[in-house]
Amino acid sequence: MADPNKVDPIHQFLITPVVSFGEGGFAFTNSALFMVLTVGLILAYLLLSTGRRAIIPGRAQLVSEMLYEFVANMVRSSAGTAGMKFFPFVFSLFMFVLVANMFGMIPFFFTVTSHIIITFALALLVFAVVIVYGFWKNGFKFLKLFVPSGVPGYVLPIVVPIEIVSFLSRPISLSVRLFANILAGHITLKVFAGFIVTLGALGWLGWLGAILPLVMTVAITALEFLVAALQAYVFAVLTSMYINDAIHPSH
Amino acid sequence: MTDMRGSGGNGEEERVREQSQRLKEKIERARGQFAAETAGPQRIGGEVTGMGRAMRLGTEFIAAILVGAGAGYLLDRWLNTAPWLMLVMLLIGFAAGVLNVVRAAESMNRAAPPPPGSDLGPGSDDED
Repeated sequence: MADPNKVDPIHQFLITPVVSFGEGGFAFTNSALFMVLTVGLILAYLLLSTGRRAIIPGRAQLVSEMLYEFVANMVRSSAGTAGMKFFPFVFSLFMFVLVANMFGMIPFFFTVTSHIIITFALALLVFAVVIVYGFWKNGFKFLKLFVPSGVPGYVLPIVVPIEIVSFLSRPISLSVRLFANILAGHITLKVFAGFIVTLGALGWLGWLGAILPLVMTVAITALEFLVAALQAYVFAVLTSMYINDAIHPSH
Repeated sequence: MTDMRGSGGNGEEERVREQSQRLKEKIERARGQFAAETAGPQRIGGEVTGMGRAMRLGTEFIAAILVGAGAGYLLDRWLNTAPWLMLVMLLIGFAAGVLNVVRAAESMNRAAPPPPGSDLGPGSDDED
Protein backbone atom coordinates (compact mmCIF):
# COMPACT_ATOMS: atom_id res chain seq x y z
CA MET A 1 0.00 0.00 0.00
CA ALA A 2 1.75 3.09 -1.19
CA ASP A 3 -0.85 5.59 -0.05
CA PRO A 4 -1.63 5.16 3.66
CA ASN A 5 -5.04 6.80 3.27
CA LYS A 6 -6.15 4.36 0.60
CA VAL A 7 -7.76 1.26 2.05
CA ASP A 8 -7.07 -1.92 0.12
CA PRO A 9 -8.82 -4.83 1.83
CA ILE A 10 -7.68 -7.40 -0.76
CA HIS A 11 -3.99 -6.66 -0.42
CA GLN A 12 -3.60 -9.06 2.50
CA PHE A 13 -4.31 -12.05 0.27
CA LEU A 14 -1.55 -11.28 -2.24
CA ILE A 15 0.86 -14.15 -2.77
CA THR A 16 4.44 -12.97 -3.01
CA PRO A 17 7.56 -15.06 -3.46
CA VAL A 18 9.85 -15.21 -0.46
CA VAL A 19 12.62 -17.14 -2.23
CA SER A 20 12.54 -17.60 -6.03
CA PHE A 21 14.15 -20.53 -7.77
CA GLY A 22 15.09 -19.80 -11.38
CA GLU A 23 13.05 -18.17 -14.11
CA GLY A 24 10.11 -20.57 -14.30
CA GLY A 25 8.12 -18.70 -11.66
CA PHE A 26 8.70 -21.50 -9.21
CA ALA A 27 9.09 -19.92 -5.80
CA PHE A 28 8.74 -20.44 -2.09
CA THR A 29 5.87 -18.04 -1.39
CA ASN A 30 4.48 -16.46 1.75
CA SER A 31 1.63 -18.98 1.54
CA ALA A 32 4.09 -21.88 1.58
CA LEU A 33 6.01 -20.21 4.38
CA PHE A 34 2.92 -20.05 6.57
CA MET A 35 1.98 -23.63 5.77
CA VAL A 36 5.45 -24.69 6.92
CA LEU A 37 5.08 -22.53 10.04
CA THR A 38 1.64 -24.05 10.74
CA VAL A 39 2.91 -27.60 10.50
CA GLY A 40 6.03 -26.68 12.43
CA LEU A 41 4.06 -25.13 15.28
CA ILE A 42 1.71 -28.13 15.53
CA LEU A 43 4.59 -30.61 15.51
CA ALA A 44 6.66 -28.65 17.99
CA TYR A 45 3.77 -28.10 20.39
CA LEU A 46 2.52 -31.68 20.35
CA LEU A 47 6.00 -33.17 20.63
CA LEU A 48 7.17 -30.84 23.39
CA SER A 49 3.97 -30.98 25.44
CA THR A 50 3.59 -34.75 25.34
CA GLY A 51 7.30 -35.57 25.51
CA ARG A 52 7.32 -36.07 29.27
CA ARG A 53 4.22 -38.30 29.30
CA ALA A 54 3.45 -37.32 32.86
CA ILE A 55 0.65 -39.27 34.53
CA ILE A 56 -0.56 -36.06 36.10
CA PRO A 57 -0.44 -33.74 33.08
CA GLY A 58 0.86 -30.20 33.17
CA ARG A 59 -1.00 -27.40 31.44
CA ALA A 60 0.59 -27.90 28.02
CA GLN A 61 0.08 -31.64 28.10
CA LEU A 62 -3.49 -31.17 29.26
CA VAL A 63 -4.27 -29.03 26.20
CA SER A 64 -2.79 -31.68 23.91
CA GLU A 65 -4.82 -34.39 25.61
CA MET A 66 -7.97 -32.30 25.36
CA LEU A 67 -7.40 -31.80 21.63
CA TYR A 68 -6.95 -35.55 21.27
CA GLU A 69 -10.09 -36.30 23.28
CA PHE A 70 -12.10 -33.71 21.39
CA VAL A 71 -11.24 -35.04 17.95
CA ALA A 72 -11.47 -38.67 19.08
CA ASN A 73 -15.00 -38.11 20.42
CA MET A 74 -15.96 -36.33 17.23
CA VAL A 75 -14.71 -39.16 15.00
CA ARG A 76 -16.28 -41.79 17.24
CA SER A 77 -19.66 -40.11 17.36
CA SER A 78 -19.93 -39.53 13.63
CA ALA A 79 -18.12 -42.56 12.17
CA GLY A 80 -18.22 -45.08 15.03
CA THR A 81 -15.32 -47.08 16.42
CA ALA A 82 -14.53 -48.37 12.93
CA GLY A 83 -13.83 -44.79 11.94
CA MET A 84 -11.04 -44.46 14.50
CA LYS A 85 -8.71 -45.88 11.85
CA PHE A 86 -8.92 -42.45 10.30
CA PHE A 87 -8.31 -40.58 13.53
CA PRO A 88 -4.75 -39.50 12.56
CA PHE A 89 -6.08 -38.18 9.25
CA VAL A 90 -8.94 -36.20 10.78
CA PHE A 91 -6.74 -34.94 13.60
CA SER A 92 -4.11 -33.69 11.14
CA LEU A 93 -6.74 -31.90 9.05
CA PHE A 94 -8.37 -30.36 12.12
CA MET A 95 -5.10 -29.13 13.58
CA PHE A 96 -3.87 -27.78 10.24
CA VAL A 97 -7.05 -25.82 9.55
CA LEU A 98 -7.35 -24.62 13.15
CA VAL A 99 -3.77 -23.39 13.44
CA ALA A 100 -3.78 -21.89 9.94
CA ASN A 101 -6.98 -19.98 10.78
CA MET A 102 -5.56 -18.81 14.09
CA PHE A 103 -2.32 -17.70 12.44
CA GLY A 104 -4.49 -15.64 10.12
CA MET A 105 -5.85 -13.72 13.10
CA ILE A 106 -2.40 -12.34 13.96
CA PRO A 107 -1.85 -8.96 12.25
CA PHE A 108 0.49 -9.00 9.20
CA PHE A 109 0.30 -12.78 9.01
CA PHE A 110 -0.84 -14.50 5.84
CA THR A 111 -4.02 -16.60 6.06
CA VAL A 112 -3.40 -19.88 4.27
CA THR A 113 -7.05 -20.99 4.32
CA SER A 114 -8.27 -17.81 2.62
CA HIS A 115 -7.21 -19.28 -0.73
CA ILE A 116 -9.60 -21.72 -2.33
CA ILE A 117 -6.79 -23.72 -3.89
CA ILE A 118 -5.64 -24.75 -0.40
CA THR A 119 -9.07 -25.66 0.94
CA PHE A 120 -10.03 -27.40 -2.30
CA ALA A 121 -6.84 -29.47 -2.19
CA LEU A 122 -7.71 -30.49 1.39
CA ALA A 123 -11.27 -31.40 0.34
CA LEU A 124 -9.99 -33.40 -2.65
CA LEU A 125 -7.67 -35.27 -0.31
CA VAL A 126 -10.66 -36.15 1.88
CA PHE A 127 -12.56 -37.42 -1.15
CA ALA A 128 -9.63 -39.39 -2.51
CA VAL A 129 -9.45 -41.12 0.87
CA VAL A 130 -13.23 -41.72 0.97
CA ILE A 131 -13.40 -43.14 -2.56
CA VAL A 132 -10.26 -45.28 -2.37
CA TYR A 133 -11.13 -46.68 1.07
CA GLY A 134 -14.79 -47.14 0.12
CA PHE A 135 -13.93 -49.26 -2.92
CA TRP A 136 -11.14 -51.09 -1.12
CA LYS A 137 -13.34 -51.98 1.84
CA ASN A 138 -16.72 -52.58 0.18
CA GLY A 139 -15.78 -53.32 -3.43
CA PHE A 140 -18.61 -52.53 -5.80
CA LYS A 141 -21.04 -52.38 -2.89
CA PHE A 142 -19.65 -48.89 -2.38
CA LEU A 143 -21.80 -47.85 -5.36
CA LYS A 144 -24.83 -48.51 -3.16
CA LEU A 145 -24.10 -45.05 -1.83
CA PHE A 146 -25.77 -43.79 -5.00
CA VAL A 147 -28.78 -46.11 -4.77
CA PRO A 148 -30.92 -45.28 -1.75
CA SER A 149 -32.66 -48.30 -0.28
CA GLY A 150 -36.42 -48.66 -0.67
CA VAL A 151 -36.66 -46.78 -3.95
CA PRO A 152 -38.66 -48.50 -6.71
CA GLY A 153 -36.67 -49.43 -9.82
CA TYR A 154 -38.42 -47.13 -12.27
CA VAL A 155 -37.34 -43.92 -10.52
CA LEU A 156 -33.70 -45.01 -10.27
CA PRO A 157 -32.72 -43.35 -13.59
CA ILE A 158 -33.67 -40.02 -12.01
CA VAL A 159 -32.47 -40.68 -8.46
CA VAL A 160 -29.02 -42.07 -9.27
CA PRO A 161 -27.79 -38.99 -11.23
CA ILE A 162 -29.11 -36.78 -8.44
CA GLU A 163 -27.22 -38.81 -5.86
CA ILE A 164 -24.06 -38.71 -7.96
CA VAL A 165 -24.23 -34.93 -8.38
CA SER A 166 -24.95 -34.62 -4.67
CA PHE A 167 -21.85 -36.68 -3.89
CA LEU A 168 -19.68 -34.71 -6.32
CA SER A 169 -20.86 -31.42 -4.83
CA ARG A 170 -19.49 -32.32 -1.41
CA PRO A 171 -15.83 -31.44 -1.98
CA ILE A 172 -16.96 -28.11 -3.42
CA SER A 173 -19.25 -27.22 -0.55
CA LEU A 174 -16.64 -28.41 1.95
CA SER A 175 -13.89 -26.24 0.47
CA VAL A 176 -16.01 -23.22 -0.44
CA ARG A 177 -17.46 -22.99 3.07
CA LEU A 178 -14.08 -22.81 4.77
CA PHE A 179 -12.55 -20.47 2.21
CA ALA A 180 -15.59 -18.15 2.00
CA ASN A 181 -15.91 -17.81 5.77
CA ILE A 182 -12.28 -16.92 6.25
CA LEU A 183 -12.06 -14.65 3.19
CA ALA A 184 -15.26 -12.75 3.98
CA GLY A 185 -14.32 -12.35 7.63
CA HIS A 186 -10.89 -10.96 6.88
CA ILE A 187 -12.22 -8.52 4.25
CA THR A 188 -14.95 -7.29 6.61
CA LEU A 189 -12.41 -6.79 9.36
CA LYS A 190 -10.11 -4.84 7.05
CA VAL A 191 -12.93 -2.68 5.66
CA PHE A 192 -14.17 -1.67 9.10
CA ALA A 193 -10.64 -0.99 10.30
CA GLY A 194 -10.13 1.09 7.16
CA PHE A 195 -13.14 3.25 8.05
CA ILE A 196 -11.33 4.34 11.20
CA VAL A 197 -8.35 5.61 9.19
CA THR A 198 -10.54 7.33 6.58
CA LEU A 199 -12.74 9.04 9.17
CA GLY A 200 -9.72 10.01 11.24
CA ALA A 201 -8.44 12.08 8.33
CA LEU A 202 -11.49 14.37 8.65
CA GLY A 203 -10.45 16.04 11.90
CA TRP A 204 -11.93 15.85 15.41
CA LEU A 205 -15.50 15.16 14.24
CA GLY A 206 -14.11 12.28 12.21
CA TRP A 207 -12.33 10.89 15.24
CA LEU A 208 -15.62 11.03 17.12
CA GLY A 209 -17.37 9.16 14.32
CA ALA A 210 -14.54 6.64 14.14
CA ILE A 211 -15.61 5.23 17.51
CA LEU A 212 -18.42 3.29 15.82
CA PRO A 213 -16.22 1.36 13.35
CA LEU A 214 -13.70 0.84 16.16
CA VAL A 215 -16.36 -0.88 18.24
CA MET A 216 -17.36 -2.95 15.21
CA THR A 217 -13.74 -3.92 14.55
CA VAL A 218 -13.31 -5.16 18.10
CA ALA A 219 -16.57 -7.12 17.90
CA ILE A 220 -15.73 -8.62 14.50
CA THR A 221 -12.28 -9.64 15.73
CA ALA A 222 -13.93 -11.65 18.50
CA LEU A 223 -16.38 -13.13 16.00
CA GLU A 224 -13.52 -14.06 13.68
CA PHE A 225 -11.79 -16.04 16.42
CA LEU A 226 -15.05 -17.94 16.89
CA VAL A 227 -15.39 -18.52 13.14
CA ALA A 228 -11.76 -19.67 12.86
CA ALA A 229 -12.26 -22.36 15.51
CA LEU A 230 -15.75 -23.27 14.32
CA GLN A 231 -14.79 -23.75 10.68
CA ALA A 232 -11.94 -26.06 11.64
CA TYR A 233 -14.45 -28.04 13.70
CA VAL A 234 -17.02 -28.13 10.89
CA PHE A 235 -14.40 -29.25 8.39
CA ALA A 236 -13.34 -32.10 10.67
CA VAL A 237 -16.92 -33.15 11.52
CA LEU A 238 -17.95 -33.29 7.87
CA THR A 239 -14.77 -35.20 7.02
CA SER A 240 -15.61 -37.84 9.59
CA MET A 241 -19.21 -37.98 8.36
CA TYR A 242 -18.01 -38.60 4.79
CA ILE A 243 -15.62 -41.24 6.09
CA ASN A 244 -18.62 -42.85 7.76
CA ASP A 245 -20.22 -43.07 4.30
CA ALA A 246 -17.14 -44.89 3.03
CA ILE A 247 -17.35 -47.40 5.90
CA HIS A 248 -21.14 -47.89 5.78
CA PRO A 249 -22.15 -47.03 2.21
CA SER A 250 -25.91 -47.60 2.57
CA HIS A 251 -28.00 -44.61 3.53
CA MET B 1 -3.60 -44.90 51.65
CA THR B 2 -2.31 -42.33 54.12
CA ASP B 3 0.70 -44.25 55.34
CA MET B 4 2.34 -46.46 52.78
CA ARG B 5 6.01 -46.26 53.75
CA GLY B 6 6.10 -46.46 57.48
CA SER B 7 5.18 -49.58 59.52
CA GLY B 8 3.97 -51.32 56.35
CA GLY B 9 2.70 -54.53 57.82
CA ASN B 10 1.51 -57.44 55.78
CA GLY B 11 -2.13 -56.43 56.23
CA GLU B 12 -1.44 -52.96 54.88
CA GLU B 13 0.12 -54.35 51.69
CA GLU B 14 -2.77 -56.72 51.23
CA ARG B 15 -5.23 -53.86 51.52
CA VAL B 16 -3.40 -51.77 48.91
CA ARG B 17 -3.28 -54.67 46.50
CA GLU B 18 -6.98 -55.30 46.97
CA GLN B 19 -7.73 -51.66 46.33
CA SER B 20 -5.71 -51.56 43.14
CA GLN B 21 -7.44 -54.74 42.01
CA ARG B 22 -10.81 -53.10 42.57
CA LEU B 23 -9.69 -49.98 40.69
CA LYS B 24 -8.56 -52.14 37.79
CA GLU B 25 -11.98 -53.82 37.62
CA LYS B 26 -13.67 -50.44 37.71
CA ILE B 27 -11.54 -49.18 34.80
CA GLU B 28 -12.26 -52.33 32.80
CA ARG B 29 -15.99 -51.95 33.38
CA ALA B 30 -15.97 -48.28 32.37
CA ARG B 31 -13.97 -49.12 29.27
CA GLY B 32 -16.42 -51.83 28.23
CA GLN B 33 -19.37 -49.52 28.76
CA PHE B 34 -17.69 -46.76 26.74
CA ALA B 35 -16.95 -49.16 23.87
CA ALA B 36 -20.56 -50.38 23.88
CA GLU B 37 -21.92 -46.85 23.85
CA THR B 38 -19.73 -45.62 21.03
CA ALA B 39 -19.70 -48.70 18.76
CA GLY B 40 -22.07 -47.30 16.14
CA PRO B 41 -22.13 -43.91 14.53
CA GLN B 42 -24.46 -41.43 16.18
CA ARG B 43 -24.14 -38.63 13.66
CA ILE B 44 -23.99 -35.21 15.15
CA GLY B 45 -24.60 -32.02 13.21
CA GLY B 46 -21.59 -29.78 13.51
CA GLU B 47 -22.90 -26.24 13.62
CA VAL B 48 -23.32 -24.27 16.78
CA THR B 49 -24.19 -20.78 15.56
CA GLY B 50 -27.05 -19.73 13.32
CA MET B 51 -24.54 -18.20 10.90
CA GLY B 52 -22.75 -21.54 10.65
CA ARG B 53 -26.00 -23.29 9.84
CA ALA B 54 -26.90 -20.75 7.19
CA MET B 55 -23.47 -21.04 5.57
CA ARG B 56 -23.74 -24.82 5.56
CA LEU B 57 -27.17 -24.89 3.91
CA GLY B 58 -26.22 -22.19 1.41
CA THR B 59 -23.01 -23.81 0.24
CA GLU B 60 -24.60 -27.27 0.07
CA PHE B 61 -27.30 -25.90 -2.22
CA ILE B 62 -25.10 -23.80 -4.51
CA ALA B 63 -22.32 -26.37 -4.81
CA ALA B 64 -24.69 -28.99 -6.20
CA ILE B 65 -26.09 -26.59 -8.82
CA LEU B 66 -22.58 -25.58 -9.89
CA VAL B 67 -21.41 -29.18 -10.13
CA GLY B 68 -24.50 -30.19 -12.10
CA ALA B 69 -24.26 -27.33 -14.58
CA GLY B 70 -20.48 -27.71 -14.89
CA ALA B 71 -20.69 -31.44 -15.54
CA GLY B 72 -23.43 -30.84 -18.12
CA TYR B 73 -21.34 -28.18 -19.86
CA LEU B 74 -18.33 -30.49 -20.08
CA LEU B 75 -20.46 -33.39 -21.33
CA ASP B 76 -21.95 -31.08 -23.97
CA ARG B 77 -18.51 -30.06 -25.20
CA TRP B 78 -17.46 -33.69 -25.31
CA LEU B 79 -20.57 -35.01 -27.09
CA ASN B 80 -21.39 -31.87 -29.12
CA THR B 81 -24.94 -31.74 -27.83
CA ALA B 82 -24.99 -28.15 -26.60
CA PRO B 83 -27.02 -26.93 -24.82
CA TRP B 84 -29.23 -29.88 -23.94
CA LEU B 85 -27.15 -31.85 -21.44
CA MET B 86 -26.28 -28.68 -19.57
CA LEU B 87 -29.96 -27.85 -19.16
CA VAL B 88 -30.80 -31.35 -17.98
CA MET B 89 -27.83 -31.48 -15.61
CA LEU B 90 -28.69 -28.03 -14.26
CA LEU B 91 -32.10 -29.36 -13.22
CA ILE B 92 -30.52 -32.49 -11.76
CA GLY B 93 -28.04 -30.28 -9.89
CA PHE B 94 -30.94 -28.26 -8.54
CA ALA B 95 -32.60 -31.45 -7.28
CA ALA B 96 -29.31 -32.60 -5.77
CA GLY B 97 -28.99 -29.23 -4.03
CA VAL B 98 -32.43 -29.63 -2.48
CA LEU B 99 -31.47 -33.15 -1.43
CA ASN B 100 -28.26 -31.86 0.16
CA VAL B 101 -30.16 -29.19 2.07
CA VAL B 102 -32.78 -31.68 3.27
CA ARG B 103 -30.05 -34.04 4.46
CA ALA B 104 -28.15 -31.27 6.23
CA ALA B 105 -31.33 -30.02 7.90
CA GLU B 106 -32.17 -33.58 8.91
CA SER B 107 -28.84 -34.02 10.67
CA MET B 108 -29.25 -30.62 12.34
CA ASN B 109 -32.70 -31.61 13.57
CA ARG B 110 -31.33 -34.83 14.95
CA ALA B 111 -28.57 -32.94 16.73
CA ALA B 112 -31.10 -30.64 18.40
CA PRO B 113 -34.42 -32.44 18.97
CA PRO B 114 -37.34 -30.36 20.25
CA PRO B 115 -37.85 -30.55 24.02
CA PRO B 116 -40.42 -33.20 25.05
CA GLY B 117 -43.98 -31.97 25.31
CA SER B 118 -43.52 -29.03 22.93
CA ASP B 119 -46.32 -28.26 20.47
CA LEU B 120 -45.14 -29.16 16.99
CA GLY B 121 -48.37 -28.27 15.23
CA PRO B 122 -50.77 -30.72 13.59
CA GLY B 123 -49.23 -33.97 12.37
CA SER B 124 -49.41 -35.13 8.76
CA ASP B 125 -52.14 -37.67 9.60
CA ASP B 126 -54.42 -35.14 11.29
CA GLU B 127 -57.74 -34.70 9.57
CA ASP B 128 -58.40 -31.07 10.45
